[in-house]
Amino acid sequence: MASAELRQIRRRIRSVQSTMKITRAMELIATSRIAKARLRVAEAKPYTAKMTDVIRNIAAAGGLSHPLLERREVKTSGVLVVTSDRGLAGGYNSNVLRLAERALNAHRANNRPIQLYVIGAKAESYFRYRGYQIQDSFLGVTDTPTYGDARAVANILLDDYEQEKMDSVEVYTTRFVSALTQTPVLWPLLPIEPPEMSEDTQIAGYSFEPSPEEILGRLLPRYLEGTIFGILLEASASEHAARRRAMKAATENAEELTKALTREGNAARQAEITTEISEIVGGAEALSHG
Amino acid sequence: MGKPFTVDVVTPEAVIWQGEADFVAARTTEGEIGILADHEPTMGALTAGAVVINSTDGSTITVGVNGGFLQVFSNQVTLLTDRAEMTEGGKEEALRLAQELGGE
Repeated sequence: MASAELRQIRRRIRSVQSTMKITRAMELIATSRIAKARLRVAEAKPYTAKMTDVIRNIAAAGGLSHPLLERREVKTSGVLVVTSDRGLAGGYNSNVLRLAERALNAHRANNRPIQLYVIGAKAESYFRYRGYQIQDSFLGVTDTPTYGDARAVANILLDDYEQEKMDSVEVYTTRFVSALTQTPVLWPLLPIEPPEMSEDTQIAGYSFEPSPEEILGRLLPRYLEGTIFGILLEASASEHAARRRAMKAATENAEELTKALTREGNAARQAEITTEISEIVGGAEALSHG
Repeated sequence: MGKPFTVDVVTPEAVIWQGEADFVAARTTEGEIGILADHEPTMGALTAGAVVINSTDGSTITVGVNGGFLQVFSNQVTLLTDRAEMTEGGKEEALRLAQELGGE
């Protein structure tokens, strides 16, 4: 019959091991997701790159003039924060939330009203809890973002921007630097920063169908969607990478803990046996001397 | 067979077709446009509809697009579209797909 102490240790080992099963499964899932998410980031690049190219060419042909490119005096700032829907991803969410809140405080210090948009349940609950007024929130998109999600976000931002509810939009999101490094960043979204002329910008006598202005007018909203799509994809890759790292650490901790507990359990068992033996020996001695 | 040139069909999700072709037909907001090799540099906004690519390997690729952009420069044709669907069912099928894409 095991002692109470031993029983308790065995129960803790079981509990730690079942947690470890979960963290290990999440680690494996996140690992497979990273590869997929990174591939999507890479596959989306040609589209935005080509679009930038087209904008450059239009600029070369006759200059860029469009409301979405015009800087106007910033009376109200739009802020979009991108987090995940679920936690268990280490510092992924808190890092970007901290960066965003610092910016919000700065705007407040300047007495500048803000329009807050959030992507991800974590950002929503964070800002709601702190009493911020959230203009719009988008949930369930960060795990595997689709282009439709990006379009929905872009449409709402564009509408509010065009109605001059805000005069700029900045995005707080996480860039996927490498599997080990994801950095929270500020990404200016609106007005659209015209791409810089590169050396190889083709100055060719393009013929435009329809006019360059009209093409630009159609192109810029698509460009915005593409940019947001890229942001979402990178955030998603970062989320999976952060979760993998967090879950790997958790699994390793659980392994350590199991080892320590097993050792403790062995000691307890040994102590029990020793007690039993000395009791038996003691009893036998008493009998033989009797 | 005319002189070949390269064609890329690019969507945000992926480059869906890339290859050599000797003829591309598309519809811009101004009307139908047919592209052969050495076409002048052109930039166009596409309307929803079918883009037909005659590949140099003899096959015809039809892509239903939901609007987008077309850039022709030094024998390099780039189609940018946020939604496209490839089909082998010919132009009617592509048009139907384009309508479906637009209606989503």
